Amino acid sequence: MSGDLSTPGQILRATGLSAGYDGRAIVHDVSIEATPGKVVSIVGPNGSGKSTLLKSLVGVVPVLGGTVNVGDADITNMTPERVATLGVGYVPQIDDVFPPLTVKENLDIGGYLLPRHEVGARIEAVLEFFPRLKTMMSRRAGKLSGGERKMLAMGRVLMLRPSVLVLDEPTANLAPLVATQLLEEYIRGFAEKGSTVLLVEQRAKAALRVSDWTCVLGGGRVVLEGPPSDLENNPIFVESFLGGGAPRR
Amino acid sequence: MSVFLSSLGFGLITAAVLALATVGFTMQFAVTNVLNLAYGSVMINSAFVTYFLNVHTRLNAWVALGGGVATGAIVSYLINRFIFTPFQRRNLPPITIVMVALGVDLCGTFGLQAIVGGSYFSFRQSPGRLWHFWGMYFSTLQLTIIGIAVVVLALVHWLLKYTRLGKAMRATSANMNLARNSGVRTQMVISTTWIISGALCGLAGTVFAMDTGVFDATSAQLYIVLLLAAMFLGGPGEPYGAMLGAVTIGVATEVSAGFINPQYKEVIAFVVLIGMLMFRPYGIFGKEKTL
Repeated sequence: MSGDLSTPGQILRATGLSAGYDGRAIVHDVSIEATPGKVVSIVGPNGSGKSTLLKSLVGVVPVLGGTVNVGDADITNMTPERVATLGVGYVPQIDDVFPPLTVKENLDIGGYLLPRHEVGARIEAVLEFFPRLKTMMSRRAGKLSGGERKMLAMGRVLMLRPSVLVLDEPTANLAPLVATQLLEEYIRGFAEKGSTVLLVEQRAKAALRVSDWTCVLGGGRVVLEGPPSDLENNPIFVESFLGGGAPRR
Repeated sequence: MSVFLSSLGFGLITAAVLALATVGFTMQFAVTNVLNLAYGSVMINSAFVTYFLNVHTRLNAWVALGGGVATGAIVSYLINRFIFTPFQRRNLPPITIVMVALGVDLCGTFGLQAIVGGSYFSFRQSPGRLWHFWGMYFSTLQLTIIGIAVVVLALVHWLLKYTRLGKAMRATSANMNLARNSGVRTQMVISTTWIISGALCGLAGTVFAMDTGVFDATSAQLYIVLLLAAMFLGGPGEPYGAMLGAVTIGVATEVSAGFINPQYKEVIAFVVLIGMLMFRPYGIFGKEKTL
């Protein structure tokens, strides 16, 4: 399914990464690696630096130390538009579509780097993946429901056939059923077809269900990481994120 | 009734010129968040370039108009590139940029006056024969200006709605970071926006001077009030709103001039501007700053 939509994944690697705003680091010395065919998730309490970490990977927030690589390319502090040309698709947590533009125009912008003659075919491929969008092509993105909007946001990045998907809380503000479908059907589906998926997710249980590897961020640092099966048996993780004690979420 | 109809005719001319100017003005605001108060001075400087080509090199006024359009485009690009952009990079508050724009406006207007003096000027151009429709009177020149406005605004609509560049401009206006993440080279889009909106500014300035008949270096100084009123009426950053706002303000000011002292017709624009800012600051169309 996503084989039509994405190209074979590349390794996304951050090494000793520090990043933040106005020269002040929020993320400290983080090393993380997402590989093709796998979903790597990042969980952590609010303010732990999850979104800042993702933004620094895609060029939105300045990297203050360390390196970021996609495949063989060093993308440290590369501009977001150049990162996009290297096949990295990024869906932010909020402001993930262009509200005044129609669904069709959002997808057109998603395919901005494609040759003009390919855009129509790419839109068709995206619509096969998200058929619900077919009926709302002329509707303004600002008028969509949360779930429709998130599909459009994903569809927009899929226009460029990304090899790496970087998703910041894609299930935020979605109804539980829609969130589960998005994670287990679509996002897991991308990885199973060979894409690299790096995911920030607030809902720790759901993140573990779809992930191959999970990192826990606290105070801007990786405090715990491992495969979901290990984390599910880790008392600290269970107490903090799975409701085993006083949940911190 | 005849006073009303003839005023309505004047209003349509004013609206045509104002619509050209306001669409460029609002495009600059939408894409770069700059309230360019220097717009009026670029308009009148462009008009003087057209005047120079028309009177001193004896070019046909409509051909010389190309010089005014090019001046507007180039000067606007340079103002953004070398004045507004460096200030914006320092993340200064919007009021600082407004003050800078005001300074640029004063330099542009009085710098021009220092060069051309305080005299009045007019193009070497005949207004042509007078046409009479439903109680309204138009010269051939005025009908040509209305025609130019209709064609140019249709082209702006086509640009924004159907071209890749236009969609990139609207995307950049809506969410610059997301546009960059989609691969849009937003700096190039912003520069192009200033060139296009500057061309509209130059065109508007020249047809404004042509319609006025007699103009001097300070003729466009109060024009910024009409621009702001039209933009806020339609919704800041909304080009279609700017067109509607321009028609409303243009007709309202001229029709009112048929009944009150014409010297005070700009007061109507002030009243509309204050009313919109008080009761609906996002204008009729606008919900947020968008293109």
